[in-house]
Formats: sequence, structure tokens, C-alpha cells
Amino acid sequence: MERNKLAKNNQAKQENGNAHSFSNEVCFQEAICEKGLAPKTIRTAEFADIANYAYHLDSGKFAVFLQKHCQEKLGINHIIDDVIQVNSADNDDIASVSTKEHGDICGEIFVDCTGFSSLLIGKHYGVPFKSCSDILFIDTALAVQVPYDEEDSAIASHTISTGQEAGWIWDIGLQHRRGVGYVYSSKHSSEEQARAVLAGYVGDKFSGLKVRKIPIISGHREKLWQNNCLAIGLSAGFLEPLEASALVMVELAAQMLSEQLPQSRDVMDVVANRFNEIALYRWERIIDFLKLHYILSKRDDNAFWRDNRDSKSIPQSLKDLMKLWQYRSPADHDFTSNNEVFPAASYQYILYGMGFESDYRHTPYVLDDKTLAQQHFSQNQKLTEKALASLPSNRELLNKIKAYGLNRL
Amino acid sequence: MASLVAINNKTHLHLKVSPEKAQWHGSALHLIPVVASEFINLAVQYPVVLTKNGDTGQFVFAAMLGFETGENLFWQNDQWQGLYLPLHIRRQPFFVSTNDDEQQGNDEYAVFIDSKSPTIEANSSKGERLFNSEGIDTEYFQQAKACLAQLIIGEKENQTLLAILQEMELIQALSLEVTFADQHSTNLSGLYTIDEEKLAQVSDEQIVKLHKGGWLPAIYSMSSSLGQIHALIDLKNKKKKHHNEQI
Repeated sequence: MERNKLAKNNQAKQENGNAHSFSNEVCFQEAICEKGLAPKTIRTAEFADIANYAYHLDSGKFAVFLQKHCQEKLGINHIIDDVIQVNSADNDDIASVSTKEHGDICGEIFVDCTGFSSLLIGKHYGVPFKSCSDILFIDTALAVQVPYDEEDSAIASHTISTGQEAGWIWDIGLQHRRGVGYVYSSKHSSEEQARAVLAGYVGDKFSGLKVRKIPIISGHREKLWQNNCLAIGLSAGFLEPLEASALVMVELAAQMLSEQLPQSRDVMDVVANRFNEIALYRWERIIDFLKLHYILSKRDDNAFWRDNRDSKSIPQSLKDLMKLWQYRSPADHDFTSNNEVFPAASYQYILYGMGFESDYRHTPYVLDDKTLAQQHFSQNQKLTEKALASLPSNRELLNKIKAYGLNRL
Repeated sequence: MASLVAINNKTHLHLKVSPEKAQWHGSALHLIPVVASEFINLAVQYPVVLTKNGDTGQFVFAAMLGFETGENLFWQNDQWQGLYLPLHIRRQPFFVSTNDDEQQGNDEYAVFIDSKSPTIEANSSKGERLFNSEGIDTEYFQQAKACLAQLIIGEKENQTLLAILQEMELIQALSLEVTFADQHSTNLSGLYTIDEEKLAQVSDEQIVKLHKGGWLPAIYSMSSSLGQIHALIDLKNKKKKHHNEQI
């Protein structure tokens, strides 16, 4: 009887999310996610929100959209061709690239967007690739597209990431299907075993699905800008998609380039140095943040988790932070660059979400103001109740947006 | 909740309705849908605003009668104290819908009655009949149908006006913090109005379009009606004071 009760309690806990999790206490968004609710209502203006949200874009369609925007609105001359040769100037800059159909294309600055082939920054300049596979072990992804059971099946409102024996599974609810994938370390799991893990997660439907295998090469170029050439996108580097950091890096790099486009060759080296410094700082912080997800786990079912906790695999910068956080929570002054990708709060969610406890014995006064804390907790509770009462399900909102669209204001 | 029944001269031959009780339908509404052709009449007493339909998120025109759900400040002593009764109140207890049996493109509409409306008289000595003894529409029912027809036309005009306002980007959110005499304050959200700055900057072509379409009176009525929010605050203050005195 007792055991049954306990099981039931646990089940109830799972259904309602963990009632006293860190994220539930400090933010109303966990509750929304657990209930599969939308981040806004049909009355909320387009791009405005009640809870934070982002879109999943069809990358194929988005690329066409961007291409059209660039050609029609920005007056860009778009040439599709193969680069067959890179021609250097006296100062080792790229003077032009020779193409199959359009001859030589000269330029003052070249952006390497050639993906993993890294044609300019990698092949031409030979800027070394800095692998981080000694820190982040994941090197393979198996992805499937899972259809919904019914046309009106619930659509999860958040990406569900679940730890597995040698990595983790992503589960993304889209309008017409789910995107599910297992990213794992091939040193810690055979492909066969990985397929079995993914099949176990997806269930009966798995047998009929086409599995796509994608290699993941974790790391980045040692320099992102060399002479008059800079890499943006996969040519610059890639990391496992745990925090969707690859896209952020593309956006940040593109923004930095547009804002700091050198006015003359004279200033380009200065701009390049700064760009490299900032970009490398960002890559390192992202690597630290991804690694943080692994080192707090107490899992012992596979060497994958034990190896992740091995001190040799943890960057010194992260070790230093962990040392500080033994006695206090991550704070803004731990991340003082104005180029941070993740704020202190992100680190708090991971640390305390994983059950880490800071030891306040030496600074008990930090915990003195219980009234203030209580105020924040109860404020959050009110927000949570309000959100749960007013937000529609994710499916319901998406159906309405399809039928009526969102208002511009 | 309205319970709609299609009207016919057999079932409803003897039915009687008291039109003066129609106002009961608005006794607990703080926003009521309105049509552009009545903005001028409404603006004399009520703020005319835009709000969004909860189901579709689409804009609708509404007259504001109170500050919170269920509050009609014009409803006092079991009576509507306003000079002008919006069409959506006067139309009660009748509703109209396109008849599913009709071919598309046919402008036939079916008329329904809210069988739970307080206007329906159980006591046959009171009220107006819908049909004479031969089953022909009475003058009262003809008027009621005319009122429904006005609403149908009004809804179509509303859609045209809304499309124009959105296309010319003349709508803006109305953010307003209202403080009552007892210092209690409330944030009005979810309301929208005419963006007067943008209206002042429309192109020649656009102003001609607004003028020729006959939309300018409605637009200016909306703008000027916002002043009625002060009158509404005043009503609320009086109601609160009265309430406090009784306590």
C-alpha cells in the first residue's frame, strides 16, 4: 500500500513538474511548460509575449526568405557558383576568388560561409581547428521525424532534453511533427546501442522511421578573422546543440561585422584582433556552460558520465567558477564582459536545477532577508497562477494563429 | 448565456416581448460591441474604443461602460441611465444568422430569439406580439428586423473600417492608469484607440480615401469620445461614495 502511494505521489509530482524545483520557485515558465501552455494568447501582439519564447524556423524556407530580402531590399548581387581557386594579394589578403562560371570575383573583405569545408579560413589560410572533444564528448547525432498520433495531439511548448546513458535526447514539438534526436559519444556507445536508446524513447513508431546520422565535430577555428577574411557559421565552428549556441554565434558575428565593418584596410587588423578576442571569449564561455550540464550529474550507469566529471576534462575557467560557487551563487560580476552569451541566471538554473548546493556557512548574512525572499516567491506564485489561468494550450494557440493571424499591435 | 431558437409564426404566434426590458441584457457588461454608424451617438456619453476578441484576437469596436468585468456604470436602480442605447442592446432578444439551408451568395438570414431573455413575457397581458393572428409580422417585429439588418450592415462596415485603420496603421494601444477618488487605481490594458499623430500625417491620397469612404466622422468620434473616460471615472467615484455611505 505504502509503496503504491509513493508511486502515485511521484507520478503526481511528475505531472505537475517538480513543485519546489529552483526554476518553479523563481520563474513561472516551468509551470507553463509542464502544462503544455502557449507563451501568449491570440490577443497578444505579434512578437510580444507573456512568457519568453522563440520560434523554430524552417531553415530551408528561411534561407530563401533571407536571400530575397538581401536581393530586393538590400540591393545585394547574389551569385551562386563554385569557388575553384583563391587568389592572394601581396600582403597575403585574399584579392579575389576564381569561380567556375563567373570568373574572378574581387573583394575587400571575404566572409567564409562555406560550412564545415571551411574553404577560406581553414583550407586557404590553414587556421587550425581547435577541437574540444576532450571536454565535450558528443560526436554523433541520430535524428528522426516523429509524426503525432492525432491531428490535434498536444504540442510541447518547450524543447525537452532528456539525459541518456551516453548523451541526451532532444524532443522538439513542431506543428505537424516532433523532431527527436539522440546525440551521443561514439566512444561510449555503439551506434547499435544508440539506436536502441532512441527506439526506447520514441516507442512503437520508431521502426517505421528513417534515422538520419549526423556527425558532430565539436570545436572552432583558433582565429575567426584572418587578414581580410572572417568565418561565420559552421566554417567558424560547431558545438553540440544543447543550448542552440551555433545560431547565436552566427547572429552575434553577423551583427558585430555589420556594426564594425572596417572603413579602410588600415583599420582592419585592429578590428580583426578585437573580433577574434570577443569571438574566442564567447566560444570558451559556451563550452564552459555546456560542460556545466555534465559535471553536476551523479549518474554512474555509463563511463560517459564518469568521464565527464573527470577533472582533466573540465576547463580551468569552469573549475575556477565552480570553486567560487561552492560558497555563493553565480552572480553578474562573474560574467563582466559585455559580450556574454549566457547571464549568471542561466548558470543558476543549471546549478540548482541539478541539485547543487552552495554552502553559506561563512556568509550567513546573505540569507538574512527572508521577508524579501518570501515576497519574490509569492510574487512568482501569483504570476504562475495567473499564467496558468489565462494561457491557452500551445496547440490551441497555433491553430488560432493559423486561422486568424496575430495582430501587429 | 443566450439560448437561441429559430423564430417561426407557428411556434411563436402568441409570443410576447417587452422591448423596454431589452436593456437588462447590458446590465452587467463593461464593454459592448458597437458599429461605426452609431459612433457619433455613442461618443456623447461613452468612450468608444477598440479591443480584441478573446477567441480570435481580432479587433472589435466597443463602447466602454465600466472598468472591470461585469461593471456597467450606466446601470443604476435597475435601469440604463444612458441617453443612447447601443444597437447590440436594442436588438435584444433577437439574433440573426445566415441560414445553413440557403445557397451561398443568397442574402437570406434566419432570425432567432433568445428563449431565456427577460424580455419574453410569460404573462400574456403585457408586451408586444411578433405576429398578428394571421401569422404576419407585426410592426414591432418589422422594426426589430430592421434593427438586425442595420447590425448586419454595421458589421460589414466595421470590417472595412478596421481593415483601413490597420492598413494605414492608425491604431495604437491605449495605456492608461486611472486613479479614483479613494486613491485606488487601475491599469487599463487591452484597449486601443486612434493614433492621432499618425492620423495627422496620413498622405493626401489616404485622407481622400477616408473622406470619400465617409469614415472621418467615425474616426473623429472615437478620438473625441476618449474624454468620456473622465465621465466614467466620475460615475465610478459616485458609485463608490454611495456604496461607502451605505456601509
